Amino acid sequence: MPEIKVTPLGAGQDVGRSCILVSIGGKNIMLDCGMHMGYNDDRRFPDFSYITQQGRLTEFLDCVIISHFHLDHCGALPYMSEMVGYDGPIYMTHPTKAICPILLEDFRKITVDKKGETNFFTSQMIKDCMKKVIPLNLHQTVQVDDELEIKAYYAGHVLGAAMVQIKVGSESVVYTGDYNMTPDRHLGAAWIDKCRPDILISESTYATTIRDSKRCRERDFLKKVHETVERGGKVLIPVFALGRAQELCILLETFWERMNMKAPIYFSTGLTEKANHYYKLFITWTNQKIRKTFVQRNMFEFKHIKAFDRSYIDNPGPMVVFATPGMLHAGLSLQIFRKWAGNEKNMIIMPGYCVQGTIGHKILNGQKKLELENRQTVIPEYEPGWSLEVKLQVEYMSFSAHADAKGIMQLIRMAEPRNMLLVHGEAKKMEFLKDKIEQEFSINCFMPANGETSTVATNPSVPVDISLNLLKREMALGGPLPDPKKPRTIWRASLRLVSPEQALKELGLSEHQLRFTCRVQLQDAHSDSDTHIRIYTHLKSVLKGYTIQHLPDGTVMVESIVIKVSSSPEEPNTKVLLLSWSYQDEDLGSFLSTLLKKGLPAALSSM
Amino acid sequence: MYEISSDENEFEDWFIESLKIYSNIHEYQLEHPTRVIEWTGEKNVCVAGYNLSKNEILELLLPLKLFADDNQGLCAERDFKVVHGGFTDGSIHCLKHIPGTRCVVTNDGSSSKLQVWDVGGDDCDVIKKTGDIHLKTASLDKGVKIDSPLTGNASVLHGSQVNDIQLTELTSGTPLYTLGTDIPDVLSSLRFVSGSVFLACSVNGDVYVGDTRSPSYLQKSPAGGREGNHWCMGVRADSSLPEPSSCSVARLSSSCQAVVSDLRNLKSPVCQAQLNVQRKTTSDEFLIVTWAPALDNCLAVSGFDGMVQIYNTASWRPELMEFQPIFIHRGHMMSDAHFDTSSSVVTTHVWHPSRPWTVLSAAGDGSVHVWDWVDNTTASSKSLA
Repeated sequence: MPEIKVTPLGAGQDVGRSCILVSIGGKNIMLDCGMHMGYNDDRRFPDFSYITQQGRLTEFLDCVIISHFHLDHCGALPYMSEMVGYDGPIYMTHPTKAICPILLEDFRKITVDKKGETNFFTSQMIKDCMKKVIPLNLHQTVQVDDELEIKAYYAGHVLGAAMVQIKVGSESVVYTGDYNMTPDRHLGAAWIDKCRPDILISESTYATTIRDSKRCRERDFLKKVHETVERGGKVLIPVFALGRAQELCILLETFWERMNMKAPIYFSTGLTEKANHYYKLFITWTNQKIRKTFVQRNMFEFKHIKAFDRSYIDNPGPMVVFATPGMLHAGLSLQIFRKWAGNEKNMIIMPGYCVQGTIGHKILNGQKKLELENRQTVIPEYEPGWSLEVKLQVEYMSFSAHADAKGIMQLIRMAEPRNMLLVHGEAKKMEFLKDKIEQEFSINCFMPANGETSTVATNPSVPVDISLNLLKREMALGGPLPDPKKPRTIWRASLRLVSPEQALKELGLSEHQLRFTCRVQLQDAHSDSDTHIRIYTHLKSVLKGYTIQHLPDGTVMVESIVIKVSSSPEEPNTKVLLLSWSYQDEDLGSFLSTLLKKGLPAALSSM
Repeated sequence: MYEISSDENEFEDWFIESLKIYSNIHEYQLEHPTRVIEWTGEKNVCVAGYNLSKNEILELLLPLKLFADDNQGLCAERDFKVVHGGFTDGSIHCLKHIPGTRCVVTNDGSSSKLQVWDVGGDDCDVIKKTGDIHLKTASLDKGVKIDSPLTGNASVLHGSQVNDIQLTELTSGTPLYTLGTDIPDVLSSLRFVSGSVFLACSVNGDVYVGDTRSPSYLQKSPAGGREGNHWCMGVRADSSLPEPSSCSVARLSSSCQAVVSDLRNLKSPVCQAQLNVQRKTTSDEFLIVTWAPALDNCLAVSGFDGMVQIYNTASWRPELMEFQPIFIHRGHMMSDAHFDTSSSVVTTHVWHPSRPWTVLSAAGDGSVHVWDWVDNTTASSKSLA
């Protein structure tokens, strides 16, 4: 029975290390290769020993697919490809390919330089890994090899995020990665056609969440900014170049006038340069199913938002600044933070996750005193012994767009999978969801634990063409039961492919052999045996590559064709050649009879 | 900039205003609307659908950010978590949690049968039905009102009319008390004020006081010819006292009148008011009035339209006068998908048992809101001014 196997890799039930192995139609595919951000030891990497105990992964995997650039989906990729070893193709969308290496390098710098880790990938490894990447376009089928094809669909969530369909023959799997079903200010909602995959794979954490509305998150952001500015404070918002920064800028711009705000809003020039560079990628991405209103506005032509200059850091009075990098681990955002942290009127708003080891991570854990550690080589301009008291207000706001319980049901309705598979959940805490999916869609819902394999039986179809006449004849025969006098082509709508011998046996027919014979007259004065030899020699010279035999009883055989020579009783010097061949050698038989009717060449010598 | 329609302007006005009038607000969209919100813990509520056939019951965990108080800034968690869920074969019009247990009791609004459910613990997330309680009632097709005593063994008080009010023990189904009367008036509300004293409000506005320790005891306070053909009741008792000496009873009519009485003298109302409401719906089924458990003289009304209105009764007078609300929650009318202000009716609302200004409300479009409103009228307000 054909089947598809799905195994989420890694130990523990935690979310935060997406890496799923799929075996389909004899192919092995790795979906995502994420790092678990909460561990400092090998538990942060997926457990590749499931694939092979030692050695490289290349021969065990047909391809690797990365859904988007978040580190819990791609953070372990350079480790897997360069340290464990994989040389096959790695697929991801164009924006993911552009942004991944930057996040990986930042992550590497923080982990190695700040935390002093040694068992980690190097900058060169990131570069070597990215050389193996083949970029994907949306809705374009890519042939990985003769049998395996993949296609990317728009997922929303972040720039470049994709849901992926993997297909071998008529079996297919769709992996959602992270996605959202409601559009926001700069990204659209996920979309997929009714592709009816055998399995739809998604995160279980969404299914038990009901998300607070986007407008309440935005309201909270505006309120905090407004409160701070009203009391004369400064607001720092550390951001990555692209994505949330635009979202929040559009939000502030939309309401600044209505709220009668006079304080200046700035973004750092580093942000603009990077953003403009990615904007070109972004715009081709957004042309696919993105809201028209967003595309209409020029990315950084805001009425109220201006470019920042370092000299403004010490300006008195309230202001709002967007600056990179997003985790406060270096650069301008850290420089500004150092200046503003000591004043309780100020505020810092962190719009995303911060990796362990960064200052962003520390202040989000409530740390009120920061000290420069010995290994702070990333910011050489800061003197050792640097310490800082954190008095400003710290706000952690999550803007990332995720689907929820309702969204998962919408996606299932869109794709119409035959089975559902949820990863990263505890089965006993997911029984209600399983029941719900099974009741509403009448499909099975699988929930493998990390390291556990789910096997899903599939029913692949073999398409068969049927002639119109046969179909018409079939339809003319009425009645449901088979009648031996009126053989049916289709009974119970099942078709089997069998050998001729078995077919004859089942149908109760005997096999007939068809043989053709023909007589050719030749003018030839030689003896019968000499004529035999002359025929044999002639045919051997003409029919090179065929099996020609001269048998002791005087027969010449060409393949299955038999040629016998006899003298004509009435006419001396006339030979009669009897040719006989079976139906299968019809072509050759006809050819021989025509050839021999022309006679034998005179120049043939007897052997 | 593109042209903004007047509807979008209204939304933006409300959005900007919301920065000042709420200290917190969260908005959720359920797959199907609910008309019940029932506390099953300090941070948990149960909701359930009211489609004619299959529905879901869900137990939801409120967002952690709401409870983080001083550490609110560091907590990014804004979402509901579905902690338990189950399926029902019928509609749910009434859902009551039995204190001290993990049980809830439901009724479908068109029969007298009660369903008993086990919401479940840590080891399983499925809400399972554990049994039915079949009741002898005078009317077979009206729904049943339910309440549970504040103390004592697990039991449930139920009735569709005054003459079939009964207290039933939960596990055995044994009737513990029946009200001996033949009054056929249909009930709109049923509430315990102590372990044994309860109030029943009939649709015509009459309030009855009963005591489950004495079946023959029944005290009636007529509505006294007031306007309105449908009344409901909200009760605020000081539950720290074993016997209620002070207990405020509010009655709300379908013609937007509110009457406040004290349990000690139900016949003469303490004060009353004509509420400033423009009715958007003709149905009375969602009318509800509640007292804030942790604030004085604060009551909330909903069910006339897409708003929840909060009034302070301290300034009300014995003679009927019109009063303005001190707060209006308009969130359910401000739908992102369409700015139609007339469509969605608030189906129910509840106050948090201990957080003074926290309210949960639900509407017919499936929305559920959790909000902390700012009281700008009193000295202890948390306003931004």
